[in-house]
Order: sequence, then C-alpha cells, then structure tokens
Amino acid sequence: MADKRSSLAILSDQLADAVATAGAAVVAVHARPRLPSTGVHWRDGLVVTTEGTVRRDDDIGVTLPHGERIPATLAGRDRGTDLAVLKIPPGSLPTAPLGDPATLRPGNLVLALARLDAGGPRAAFGAVSAIGGKWRSWKGGEIDQWLQSDLSIYPGFGGGPLVDAAGLVHGVNSGGLSRPLATTIPVATVNRVLGQLLERGYVARGWIGAAMQPVQFDAATRKSVNRETGLLLLSIEPDAPAARAGLLIGDVIVAIDGRALDGFDQLLDLLGGDVVGKTLRLDVVRGGRQQSVDVVIGERPRARR
Amino acid sequence: MVQVIDGARWQGGGAAIAWGGDAPDLFVTSAHVVTRKRVTVITPDGRMLAGDVVRRDSERDLAVVHAPGAGVPAVATGDPYALRPGSLVFAVGHPFGITHAVSVGVFQAVGALPAGFGLNGQGSRPWVQADVRLAPGNSGGPLADAEGRVIGVAAMIVSGVALAVPASDVASILSGVA
Repeated sequence: MADKRSSLAILSDQLADAVATAGAAVVAVHARPRLPSTGVHWRDGLVVTTEGTVRRDDDIGVTLPHGERIPATLAGRDRGTDLAVLKIPPGSLPTAPLGDPATLRPGNLVLALARLDAGGPRAAFGAVSAIGGKWRSWKGGEIDQWLQSDLSIYPGFGGGPLVDAAGLVHGVNSGGLSRPLATTIPVATVNRVLGQLLERGYVARGWIGAAMQPVQFDAATRKSVNRETGLLLLSIEPDAPAARAGLLIGDVIVAIDGRALDGFDQLLDLLGGDVVGKTLRLDVVRGGRQQSVDVVIGERPRARR
Repeated sequence: MVQVIDGARWQGGGAAIAWGGDAPDLFVTSAHVVTRKRVTVITPDGRMLAGDVVRRDSERDLAVVHAPGAGVPAVATGDPYALRPGSLVFAVGHPFGITHAVSVGVFQAVGALPAGFGLNGQGSRPWVQADVRLAPGNSGGPLADAEGRVIGVAAMIVSGVALAVPASDVASILSGVA
C-alpha cells in the first residue's frame, strides 16, 4: 500500500533512520576540557576522532550510545591528517557502516553526526558541495580526496562521521583542516592512517634533512644541463640523510629517480609516501655539471611531524 | 503567524504564533520581542492591528499578545519529545525584516544543553535544539516539523545551534488567559 504521508514526512523519517543507523557507532570523546568531541567506532575496539580535539594523552573516556562512559587509551595520533585513534574494549558497540566517498556527488544530501553527552546522537544537515582529488592539508598530511559539504560543524561535531541518506559513513568531519569549510577526511585516508597508527603509533614521513629553495638556472647552465629550474640546497643538518649521502650546500636538485623536479609539492608527495628506508637517486647540478647522488630516505624526527 | 513590532520601534520586531485554544486572537511570542505593553501586530494579509501584551515570562522567554480582530488561523502543535534526531524542521519568521521567510534544517535534541554550552545558567532548562538558521526577526516564530506542526517557539542561537522553547512549555503561560 502506498505511504499516505507527504514526501517531506517520508524524507524526514529517512534522515532520522540514517542518523539512527550511523549513530549507533558514534561516541562522545572526552579528551579535552569542557565540551567533548565526537568519535566513530571504525573497527571493533577502535574509535577514530580528530587529532585536534584530543588535548591529552591519558585519562581519556568515551560515552557509548546507551550512555555508559568507559575509559579509552590513545593508540596514536597524526597532526598532518588531523586523525587520532583510541582503543576501547572490543564488542562495546556496532562498527560504522562504511560507504565509498567516490559514489558521492555534489548536491547529495548528507548529515554530520555528533554525540556530546548521554543523550541521543545529534545531526546537522546539508549537501555535498564539492568533490575533488588528492590534496595536502596545511599541517602537511596527504588527504586522498577533497570532500567538502555545506554542513555546520558545531562545537563538538569534530571527529564525527559524514553520513549519507542511507546511513553510510563516508569519512570523519574536521572543523580544523580548512576552516571555515566543513571538510571530511575520507574513508581511504582514515583506513590508511589507522593502519599506520596501529603499527607504530604515528605516521612516518620521509625526510632528508635539508632546506631548499626553488631557483632558475642561468642561460649557460640551462644549456649545459638541459633544465630550467631546480631546488637549491640552502642548509643541511648534520647526520641527516642528505649529509650522509654527501649532498652539499649549493647543490641544485633537478630530478628524483629520473623524474624532473618542478617544485616542492612533488618532493613532498614523494616523501609523504611509504619511502622511509628506501634509496632515491637524486640528480643534482654541482659546479655547473650534473651528477647523481643516492640518498637513503630517513624518517622525519618526531618533533617536526 | 503574524509579525510583531514592539511599540515605537519601526524596524526589526519578531514573529508571533496564533496558538488557538479557547480564546481567539491570542499570539505566543518571545518575551524579548515584546519589551513594551503595547505592540503592533501585522497579519499575513497586511493589516496592522494594536495588540496588548497580556502575559510575560522573561525567565522562559515567552509572552502572550492579544490582538482583537486578527482572525489568523491557529497552528497545529506537535510534541518535540516525539521527534528523532535528523528529522526535518522548518523555521518561519521575519529575519532581518524579510517577512515570512523559511529556513530548513534538522532536529538535534530536546532537553538541557550539553555541558560546555554556556547560557548564563539557562542551559539546564529544556530547549528544542536544531540545526537550522535563525536570525534576528525569527524570535517568537514557529519551529515546525515535516508535517507543519509547531514544536517550539524560536528563541535564540547559542554556539550556532538554534534554540526554541518546547511547545509543551507554552500551555502553562496560556492557561487562564482569555
């Protein structure tokens, strides 16, 4: 039999169903003074939240959907992607039903969920505004997809899930990555960072220990090395990978592993990946002549992550 | 629903809701909208009427205006405690003087505000809390569910969250007014 209610009432019910479905896996995270933030039970025993809302490493608690508050331990945090992972006893609540953000299109209706206390889940409503490719946060983390919505990320909503009309979770909302826009850290990034945080408690990023600046070659050098631009080494830290490889201040890097280098982003992309411990061949111009130097990529020291 | 202008103030004002019940021409609004005893009521068809503030509860931010001859149909009311988070809600008001403007959003909760939302000690009162855009001029207007039932009287924004006085709290201020 056809539903006699208005289509608006049916939509309203479907949105509330979506909140109930996803909300069963949403917890309040108590890791800062005053207002809690929100976390998503991503895998059994693992709660994902935003790193910026975890202000302490100990004495962390989470409030479950039925109102019970239990202790949680910090498994790791990554400033770059604004993600932190907490451990709670397995079987505490259902895990989030994950969606595929690649299926989202601008205009799709979405909800941001939060849990702030022993009451029910809270919701904000809006639409997907823009979808794009890989990007790098201002904190230096690589985010697999640009996923922006017109949702209001209210106080306490950070760390909560972006939920579609079917109740599937497409990522974790961050209020701090690209303020004032509501940006979502997509499922792929959460999965990748979660794996690394569980393995070693942080996300390792490649490091060579040198400061650089982009430069243009003079006409003569341009002709002799057949390159227009490169990255000039301004300083090299003692005992850093660059120093150990024999790089010198004044060297100009023009290619990495045979690929021409046209700026910092390319280098950061290379170092952001899974390269720690690997050897990269740098083509450098030294004294007007090109030569190759093999560098064993180190790990960025913790203080700089 | 009508527009209410507070005495001599020629701009701004707020909204008021024809609540129905035993006495016709009674309108519920926010106490902060009607700071004087005499107000002007503008009906949806554009008539300007004199109104009297016959009840006021500043603590609960509610007031009742009597505007004889208004003849505005009363709203249907709903129970905010029966709503689920994520349900659609609509606010109707006169934000920044734009009359009968609608904004849409979703219901978040009804009850005390979460700890950490400061509201000068008023946070422990029950509020309908919603993700919907309110602006000056929405005060006193209805917050309604997807079926058009009024579940609250729009009051203010705190930390971006829209707050309304639950419809169930209105009965007490109306009781005995006739």
